[in-house]
Amino acid sequence: MADGRGGAEGHGVPLLGLSWIVALARRRPGRLAGLTLAVAMAVLLTASLGAFFTASRARMTNDAIASVPVDWQIQLRPGTDVAHATRVVASADGVARTMAVLYGDTTGFRAGAASTGVRTTGPGVVLGLPSNYASAFPGEIRPLIGARDGVLLAQQTAANLGATVGSEISIGRRGLPRASVTVDGIVDLPAADSLFQSIGAPPGSAPTAPPDNVVLVAAARFAELFPEGTPGVTTQLHVELARDLPADPGAAFVDVTGRARNLEAALSGTVLIGDNIGARLSAARSDAVYAQLLFLFLGIPGVIVAALLASVVAAAGRDRRRREQALLRLRGAAPRLIVALAAAEALAVGVAGVLLGLAGAAVVGRIAFGTARFGVTNAQALVWLAVSVVVGVGLAALTIVGPAISDAHALTVGAARADIGRPRRPLWSRLYLDVVLLGAGALVYAQAARSGYQVVLAPEGVPTISVSTFTLLAPALLWGGAALLAWRLGSLVLERGRLILEPLARPVAGRLAGVVSASMSRQRRSLSRATVLMAVTASFAVAIAVFNTTYAAQAEVDAQLTNGADVSATTTTLTGLPEGTARRATALPGVTSVAAMQHRFAYVGNDLQDLYGIDPSTIGATTPMSDAFFGNGDVAGTLATLATHPDGVLVSEETVHDFQLHEGDTVRLRLEFASDGRYHVVPFLFVGVAREFPTAPRDSFIVANAAYVARQTGTGSVQTLLVRTDAPPPVVAERIRRLLGPASGATVQDIETQRRVTLSSLTAIDLHGLTRLELAFALATAVACSGLVLAIGIGERRRSYAIASALGARTRQLSSFVWTEAAFVIVVGVALGALTGWGIAQVLVKILTGVFDPPPGSLSVPWGYLAAVLGAIAAAAAIAGSAAIRSVRRPQPEVLRDL
Amino acid sequence: MDDVLVRAEDLTRVYGTRTAAVRAVFRATFTIEAGRRIALIGPSGSGKSTLLLMIAGLERPTAGTLSWPALGEADSLRPGPVTVAFQGPSLLPPLSVVENVALPLLLEGREQGVAFDAARAALDLFELADVAGKLPEEISGGQAQRAGLARAIVGEPRLVLADEPTGQLDHETAGRAVVALLDAADASGAAVVVATHDAEIAVRMDARWRMDAGELRGTVSRCSA
Repeated sequence: MADGRGGAEGHGVPLLGLSWIVALARRRPGRLAGLTLAVAMAVLLTASLGAFFTASRARMTNDAIASVPVDWQIQLRPGTDVAHATRVVASADGVARTMAVLYGDTTGFRAGAASTGVRTTGPGVVLGLPSNYASAFPGEIRPLIGARDGVLLAQQTAANLGATVGSEISIGRRGLPRASVTVDGIVDLPAADSLFQSIGAPPGSAPTAPPDNVVLVAAARFAELFPEGTPGVTTQLHVELARDLPADPGAAFVDVTGRARNLEAALSGTVLIGDNIGARLSAARSDAVYAQLLFLFLGIPGVIVAALLASVVAAAGRDRRRREQALLRLRGAAPRLIVALAAAEALAVGVAGVLLGLAGAAVVGRIAFGTARFGVTNAQALVWLAVSVVVGVGLAALTIVGPAISDAHALTVGAARADIGRPRRPLWSRLYLDVVLLGAGALVYAQAARSGYQVVLAPEGVPTISVSTFTLLAPALLWGGAALLAWRLGSLVLERGRLILEPLARPVAGRLAGVVSASMSRQRRSLSRATVLMAVTASFAVAIAVFNTTYAAQAEVDAQLTNGADVSATTTTLTGLPEGTARRATALPGVTSVAAMQHRFAYVGNDLQDLYGIDPSTIGATTPMSDAFFGNGDVAGTLATLATHPDGVLVSEETVHDFQLHEGDTVRLRLEFASDGRYHVVPFLFVGVAREFPTAPRDSFIVANAAYVARQTGTGSVQTLLVRTDAPPPVVAERIRRLLGPASGATVQDIETQRRVTLSSLTAIDLHGLTRLELAFALATAVACSGLVLAIGIGERRRSYAIASALGARTRQLSSFVWTEAAFVIVVGVALGALTGWGIAQVLVKILTGVFDPPPGSLSVPWGYLAAVLGAIAAAAAIAGSAAIRSVRRPQPEVLRDL
Repeated sequence: MDDVLVRAEDLTRVYGTRTAAVRAVFRATFTIEAGRRIALIGPSGSGKSTLLLMIAGLERPTAGTLSWPALGEADSLRPGPVTVAFQGPSLLPPLSVVENVALPLLLEGREQGVAFDAARAALDLFELADVAGKLPEEISGGQAQRAGLARAIVGEPRLVLADEPTGQLDHETAGRAVVALLDAADASGAAVVVATHDAEIAVRMDARWRMDAGELRGTVSRCSA
């Protein structure tokens, strides 16, 4: 090794450091390689998280803006020059299209004749649209039946008026006589919430529901119906922005809102801008931030585990480093020089580990996430790179230079502090830090549970999601506390539990059980450390596996709820599916079962709710339902109750609360009768609460027996077909489309397509790539922990094993020491880790309940993966232990000569 | 009793190869009979420790023959008929002094109670009864060396090999330790081979074998009863 004379200070140090590194590479390659790999693992995970966020943020931005029907709705204040405003808006930066839309308030609509019955509605709205509006903003209008232009009636309005194509309806106008128009078509308004939003409402004000009664006419017809000066007429400019927004949702949000403010300033306050795209990007931005927090939370423990592994590897070489440093000091090297050489080693390991880790992360990112970039923007990529470098170099410095600094000033190097004996309790244990952390975590969790974690949804409005970073402290505190508690428990068992340890060791150690357990007790510091490392690794693997699996399961449930079944065909309440559709669909290839479902409307008091008429005895065969869908938590029991009560009805908890219902109460609903198209009272029997139902909206809804509804209303028409398949759903969906034909007006959707579009913003993050990365990382660290900890522990006790072998210990007897220690570390570590991991997953799922729709009733456990991890841990321990036993069963000559 | 415990013919042990080869023991020929007291003397690096390790079956000779006519094969020497008291610290750190001393008996398969009783008795011989429960790091080097001797005689071996057994002891304590060792050996009829620099120990032995540069010389080069 290099001569450490003091004269090498100053400009000779870099050269000395370089020759030191070269010598280490030649004489101690294993030590350098082991630590480099451990550092690389930590860097790889850190940088991979950057790649994940690049992919997920870009996707979040794209998904957010793709779902916006109209980017900006610019309301002109009364008296504003429409032409001027249109010119200014159209010429604004980034505006791709501008259209003027007129809103006319009406006193109501009326349809029918005295002979057939006249129906009237409450106040409504007439929209005047430019001719190509539907093609420019396809998300706003969905044609159902009839013409696509002319006088179009919103579906709900048609139901309210009992009108259809060709019907004549009259429009009540303020200050003007009623005007009659003939209905050319019926449409659906999927984005009614934003189309009729109150632009300029103060922040925090309750969102308003869109009008139930809407008629759409061409702009020219609107001008006839609402001449200039008619009260209650407003103009909006509907704007589509160019899709050249930044990929990051936060940057896109800033870009869009900045442009909106510029426009408001350019129009001198004569307009109010309803920034729909900004609202979606704001939600996506928030979600991106909290997704980052969440997945950093899932990722940081992985980095910590890698750091712990690195420290174990570094500690394994500490004795040899101490001897090297002692030789240097004997030759006159000053402590500063020794530290400088350690720093050189740390720098070499850190740089090599960072390069290796970044290369690995680029490969992983490309495979798992489709990108090798570490950030959405160059600035973000640089930040992630910098973080990765800091993690890698910092880890190497901590594990090499730190001990070197403390050892360099020790009086005698030979006084290696033994890891054996009667150690003093560490400070954290005396301060009961584990209890403090667990208690703090429990308090934060309880607070989070009390305050709730909700998706705040306007009654048919724009969703906003709020996530509290405070609540994410709970799992962090609980995790740290659980790790320390595992340390305390492990240490306690080893210190005080010889009465337990000895009989447990007897099957492996035989008559040596006493000394084996005594040996373990006195090495409790190192064994407890190893056990905690095993527990932390196991808890990381269990927590992320259970959370990711539960998330994936709920995503599937969410898609199933929205779509209703593998394939669903829906039409309007007005029309219904052609008779015999269910029978014919059953005969299609790939269809295993079919359930027809009514979708009507019913008044509960003055509240109009969706009503679903089902056959409760057969629907379960077609559409999966969870116990969590019903108030009593029992899907089979609830459906059976409904089946045995023909007039039974399930309502929402909100309805139960509003009307103070008790089971067995009679509920009087008003349903539309086929005979006269009017709403009449039908008595039902309240038999249970429905929280969720396939295809049902998030708002209140009603579930009843289809046969009873048909009998009472005089029509058995069904509006929804639910289909279970044993073939790819998109293929069966296409067959059903052909069966129904284009004239049916039915929408056929399959669950695979639905799965891609249904999810809430936060859970829309594609976890697939991150899941693979984290699960693979968890498996790798568990294996590394198991094998490494065992191998290093045996290496540290190599001299003891040599002495025992010299005294005549047989391989089996030496093995008893090895396997008993290994069994303790693995069994106790994995058990405590599994318990902790399950608890952390439970906490995470609870805290994020609001973004699961519906909330999971229980955790989904990936037993196969966990069994694989356990098997890999056991295999790694077996291999490391066997190799180590083989190496010590014959005492090494160099060890014997030291005795 | 003239049982031949060890017979060696041209025993040689070489470490390394070619130009780096070190001849630790070269063509040593000897026998050791039951009950013999042999002092192995010579300068540092003369091959004494290597010779003891080969006699104990812990090192394989490079050349020559080595057998244990009255003790069995090399695999059955330890634990049991042959014990070694090492020169350096050789107590297992995580075991207490009494556990260390009892270990050879436990490795033989003796009952725990029997083993520990014998260990305490052995510790008594070497005036270590009051440190029985302490850990090796809690006792002095001299106490540890005496514990090593206690461990060497606890199982009533037939051959005790001691490498510089009093190196860390003061003169008076060393004398008492050697007396205890020899008394214990007498009680079981064990032969004792001691590698030592200490002339006062050497004079207590029946024979003095000299080693020099790996070669066995001294009062008799072909040693027998």
